[in-house]
Amino acid sequence: MARWEKILMAVDEGETSLRALRYVARIAASMGDVSLCLLHIYPEPPPDFYQRGGQIADYRAEKEKRAEIIFAQAERVLFEAGIQPGRVQRSIRPAEGRSISQVVLDVQKEGDFGTVAVGKRGVSKAEEFLFGSISNALARHSNGFTTWVVG
Amino acid sequence: MIDWSLFPPHILPRLRDHYAVKSMRRVPKLFGDTSDFTSIDYGDVIHVGDRYFLVVGYTKEGRFGIDEQPKQWVPKVYDLESGERKIAKLTFYETYSLTIGGLNVTCYRSPEKEAEVIELVKGNPHFMQGYSARDEAGNLVRVLDVIRGQRLDKYLADKGETHREYFEIHCKGMLVNFLESIRGISLLHAHGLKHGDIRRDHIFVDHEDGRFRWIDFDYDFYLPERPFALDLIGLGNVLLFILGRKNFRPADILGDPEMGPSIFATLDTGDLSLVAADRVFNIRKIYPYIPKCLNDILMHFAAGTPVMYDSVDEFHDDLAACLDSISSPGTEFNSVPG
Repeated sequence: MARWEKILMAVDEGETSLRALRYVARIAASMGDVSLCLLHIYPEPPPDFYQRGGQIADYRAEKEKRAEIIFAQAERVLFEAGIQPGRVQRSIRPAEGRSISQVVLDVQKEGDFGTVAVGKRGVSKAEEFLFGSISNALARHSNGFTTWVVG
Repeated sequence: MIDWSLFPPHILPRLRDHYAVKSMRRVPKLFGDTSDFTSIDYGDVIHVGDRYFLVVGYTKEGRFGIDEQPKQWVPKVYDLESGERKIAKLTFYETYSLTIGGLNVTCYRSPEKEAEVIELVKGNPHFMQGYSARDEAGNLVRVLDVIRGQRLDKYLADKGETHREYFEIHCKGMLVNFLESIRGISLLHAHGLKHGDIRRDHIFVDHEDGRFRWIDFDYDFYLPERPFALDLIGLGNVLLFILGRKNFRPADILGDPEMGPSIFATLDTGDLSLVAADRVFNIRKIYPYIPKCLNDILMHFAAGTPVMYDSVDEFHDDLAACLDSISSPGTEFNSVPG
């Protein structure tokens, strides 16, 4: 079992992500030996991206710029809660043919994170079937680590 | 007087003699650039790759309940070199929004994706066959073999006088063929490709061997977390159709003299499709002789399901196990002749 104080926190620009981050920040601030990695994953461009003349380098640059804003906001929440800057890392990954939840699982494995934290928005069954639910996928595939799903 | 010098000599005998040209009162035009496919008419010639194709008709959009519209970007053609009939799919990009279960999904027509699928499934009997080539303007044209067969929905319509007769005599064979064809979809997914438009009229039943062959792969969707969800929904719909031979809306059941209020009263919202509230998936309430394991598979697509399929392989494995179990001696499928 990986060290549970080593936390992988998936973040995006949504309100649920921010809510989950605040929750994690309060817990992490009271932990002695915590380390926290903020993870932002962006999907592949849509199917008509190249046909519309899109360039992958531009797409990635735009996503990375947005990620910087997300990370900065997330770090502000963590630092205000009392977490030391040296304990926080950033990671940005493109999905590249994988689902977002699969990339989270891959990063968890690579980094041997003991805890994965995500926000959860309420979705209908139809929505879950079509668009998926990252938190449900993580909860289902948690093996050897703990998933915190913050609703 | 027709100026034949536009055309290479080796195709002239077939071109001059073809009824499409003989009946024309104008000079056939030669199109090396198919960008403006609306200007390509009956009797014109398309040059793509090293081949010349005479346009002899148009395929039609086979949507249910709507008048079939000719698809100008999908002409029926005649290969002026080999003399074979083919279907040419010209490049046509479109994007539109589909509403499924009250949710909007953006749909893209993608010639490139279809070309990838055609390349992957070359020689696979569960898919339409063909090749892709670029015209002189760089448009990706797919040249497809004509399948000698019938659309699944039309094929099933002739089987059996009653549903019971269809089910007991023909349905098992249909399910076995369907199961094999699902492996084809699984192959696509393993290569990161979707079918994109799985419907009962996008399966052709081959006249010679009865195999199910998938057609039309040019739709694509943007569902990053569940890229294959729409293919799964399509497979669920096809299974429902194979078992019921038609789709049932609650209102149809109420209005049917053989079913009527007694069956209608047993339905609840959990029996209806997860993504289309006007379609009954709990088909055992309509036909109680359908084996439970088949109904259980359908119920994964119903609004009341606690568990959803994550992959086509899960769906395939459940269907395979069910067919194994109901093929055992003494079970429903084997208790009737045929």
